[in-house]
Amino acid sequence: MAKKYRLSELVSEIDETIQNRFAGETFWITAEITDVKPQDPSRNYRFIKFIEKSGTTTLASIDAVFWAKSLNQIEKFEKTTKTTLRNGLELTCKVVVSFNNRYGLKLEIIEIDCTYALGQVEIERQQTIEKLLKENPKTIRRVDEQFITFNKTLELPIVIQRIALITAPNSDGQRDFNQELKGNKHKYIFNVSEFLTQIQGDSSSKLIVQKLKLIEEDKESYDIVVIARGGGSQSDLQPFDDYELSKYVAAFPIPVFTGIGHDRNTSIVDLMARQHKTPTKVATSIVDHNFNFESDIIDFKERFFDAAESMIDDAKESLLQFKRTVKAYSPATILNKGYAIITSNDRIIINPKDIKPNTEIKTILKNELIHSTVTKKTKNGINL
Amino acid sequence: MELTYNKAHEKLSKLVDLIEDDAIQLDTLAEKVKQAKVLIDFCEAKLRTIDDEVKSALLDKKPSVKKKK
Repeated sequence: MAKKYRLSELVSEIDETIQNRFAGETFWITAEITDVKPQDPSRNYRFIKFIEKSGTTTLASIDAVFWAKSLNQIEKFEKTTKTTLRNGLELTCKVVVSFNNRYGLKLEIIEIDCTYALGQVEIERQQTIEKLLKENPKTIRRVDEQFITFNKTLELPIVIQRIALITAPNSDGQRDFNQELKGNKHKYIFNVSEFLTQIQGDSSSKLIVQKLKLIEEDKESYDIVVIARGGGSQSDLQPFDDYELSKYVAAFPIPVFTGIGHDRNTSIVDLMARQHKTPTKVATSIVDHNFNFESDIIDFKERFFDAAESMIDDAKESLLQFKRTVKAYSPATILNKGYAIITSNDRIIINPKDIKPNTEIKTILKNELIHSTVTKKTKNGINL
Repeated sequence: MELTYNKAHEKLSKLVDLIEDDAIQLDTLAEKVKQAKVLIDFCEAKLRTIDDEVKSALLDKKPSVKKKK
């Protein structure tokens, strides 16, 4: 009978064999990852799995681990690519082959190549954009690198007051938006209906679509929809690059404002809607929008009352003018200046031909009346 | 018909055009001033006051607040 091994002996031999072949050597591999679970905060390592498939057949699969010293690689990866580590991603990693008598064979991940990952994320993003353009020609177009969507071409109400806010409960985004909006310096009033949902992580794009559907059922009640997420560069943009959510936003019948905080990339949802960098900036733009309206009203008010005032002033002025004219032509004024009025038989003489010598006339001067008889008539010799 | 921001804006703009083009007669001025004032007051108030619906909903919740003195 062949030699019987104790398990520990056999495992040690495997360990030795692997050590002989692989010790100290590093390898670069590119493979899809799976079995990704959220980081358990009580542990300072993280397990995943690499797989290689051909169609639906798995050709190879091996466990992998980030030990404490390489956990920062995940942070760096998520920060650089704006993507959380998740199933289905293709990663390029530097690994060493390690064997542990208790835990077995694993690839220890030393480093993730973020440039490659970033390229992958960007390729996926471009594919989503192309698909959106191709499959929704009625609601999404690209003109000179700008995206024109049905939603973006909706006219904004002249004043925005009824707002449907999609955000995460107790989040920075919710707080920043409401603070900026409600504390606005013009004291404008807003009616904000909150639609709270998870807005980060794998399933959140679906949850956001559900909230949009709720809002759509009652679409007459809202002027605009705001999607707000506070931010930071660490945040995962993934849900906002989602095809279904982007498509839904592009065709949504109420204008959508996005305030998705992140410092580098623009998400696809941002491209489909009216993008503002942060929830605070969304609020500012709404307040400014209403202030534009109020400025118009103030301008109308000033112009109208200025015009009304000058209309009254003009009327007063012409009345005054009229009075002056009347006064200038009144007999009293004329007599005061030394002119006289001549009457004969109680009729004012306008034409001197009406007076013959020996006619009795009355000359009306200021305060006095002179009675006389005409003795002679000649030309007056005044060249008028 | 119910007044809206759009209508108020449009009507005010027309009134301003009319008065600036001297198309308003002096004897109708008082009436036009009144119209303009109603429109301006509507806009200013609506921008800063909670809608009646909302207001009455709030009052329903606290019916005794206003009566106590």
